[in-house]
Amino acid sequence: MRGSNFRYLMKQGIVSVWHNRMMSFASFCIIMVSLLLISLCVLVAFDISIVIEGAEEKNEMLVYVDDASEEQLVRIEETIKSHPYVAAIVFYSKEEAWEDQKAEMEDYAELFDALHENPMPDTFRVTLSDLTKIESARDVFAAIEGVESVSAPYDFASVLVSLRATLAVIAGAMLIALIIVCIVIVYNSARTSVFARRKEIGIMKSVGATNAFIKFPFFIEGMFIGIVAGAVSWILCKLAYEALVSFFAGDLTIWQILGLVNVIQFGDVMWIVLGANCLAGAFLGATGTVLSMGKHLKV
Amino acid sequence: MVELKNVDVHYKDGGKSGVDALHDVNLRINDGEFVFIVGNSGAGKSTLLKLLTREITPTNGRVFVNGYNLSKIKKAKIPYFRRSLGMIFQDFRLIPDMTVYENVAFVLRVTDKSNRYIRQRVPYVLNLVKLNDKAKFKPTQLSGGEQQRVAIARAFASDPNLIIADEPTGNIDPALSYEIVELLKDINKCGTTILMVTHEHDLVQYFGGRIINLSNGSIAFDDVIGGEDEGE
Repeated sequence: MRGSNFRYLMKQGIVSVWHNRMMSFASFCIIMVSLLLISLCVLVAFDISIVIEGAEEKNEMLVYVDDASEEQLVRIEETIKSHPYVAAIVFYSKEEAWEDQKAEMEDYAELFDALHENPMPDTFRVTLSDLTKIESARDVFAAIEGVESVSAPYDFASVLVSLRATLAVIAGAMLIALIIVCIVIVYNSARTSVFARRKEIGIMKSVGATNAFIKFPFFIEGMFIGIVAGAVSWILCKLAYEALVSFFAGDLTIWQILGLVNVIQFGDVMWIVLGANCLAGAFLGATGTVLSMGKHLKV
Repeated sequence: MVELKNVDVHYKDGGKSGVDALHDVNLRINDGEFVFIVGNSGAGKSTLLKLLTREITPTNGRVFVNGYNLSKIKKAKIPYFRRSLGMIFQDFRLIPDMTVYENVAFVLRVTDKSNRYIRQRVPYVLNLVKLNDKAKFKPTQLSGGEQQRVAIARAFASDPNLIIADEPTGNIDPALSYEIVELLKDINKCGTTILMVTHEHDLVQYFGGRIINLSNGSIAFDDVIGGEDEGE
């Protein structure tokens, strides 16, 4: 195709956005709302995932050790560290534990003075990278020579694990449902738009236009509407997301308890969201329009 | 050149026996001819035109137009075949959003002609149909006769071998019908074959020439008659 005709078809695509402004506006609204919902859904799903991750990080196993020599402690630490799912390990000596305990219960100082020996055990605070491995890790650590016992919050861990799994399913299902609904609506709206212009398409066919020649301006038109809808949905997403974050930020205690301090800041991901929304908009607009033309091209 | 050999067109009608729209039609139209196709409603005129524009294929027989065997042509080649034709319709079929100039230029865009060629050719054909001064008008701003002249200009713009006119005078003032046929006659003088379907007998008798009369799906009459305008 000649460059001049390519430019002509591009121009035709953009011009027909205005010529068919009612339909263009309908498609624009549908794509924009769908992209807004999808991008908000993705951001919130990531945030919830981050919150759960934060809670998981705070979730420690405590490995208590019998009276052990320095060498034994080093050996136990090395053995725990060699476990593939250990993310962090902190040694908490019996002396530190004793001092902390005394500080915590300073009203009962006489009680501590009566004790001649430090009854607290040496402890390793272990954080796992994968909470689903907590039980197997407990068994491994308990079997280490010199380890007295292992305590782990199994119930909390299993709640977090199932919460994560449920969230993944809900977020995935919502995303798929939104995308399907969006494609169906865009396809139908485009079909209405193409149906209104079936006469025009028929004329093009009768004068010898190829399907590609007829589709191209529609493709450009759909893509243009999609990109604009993507950009507008990005602005609305920014406003909605920031409003949502500031709404929850109003109650700082909840934030701290839940470890929400690390939620995604829109500014950090705005270019990614903009790019994704525009690309998805272009894809939805263009494919919806072109797919809906099929029947009218069979002349 | 147009050639039909033993062409049958049978439309299926649900579970019933269906309808024979054309039956054993044999026809040859040579390059440069001007032919009127006449016949009552249901005689098979529309079916014949659909065959010639490859909207349908024959149930039996073969159809050749401008060197294309339309019984065997591949789908991808159909647009290229249609570019060798000019089509004129009763309802004009102009694109309402485009100006007169753009409607005519569109055919040349389809055939990937350069901007320079389009800028030369469109004013030339608009001048031929005496619509140069209305190049920037939209079709809705024109009368029926003017719209049909735009359609003729569009059909002629790509300089096709054959122009098929489907009742081109059906939607316009009878007085202007003669003007439209005159225009087609002028184009025919340039060497373009013209095939005009009409049911206006007065028009056919006035201009004369080769007349093909379809009746019940068959050719009932195919001959040349003298026209009243020949003595003028």
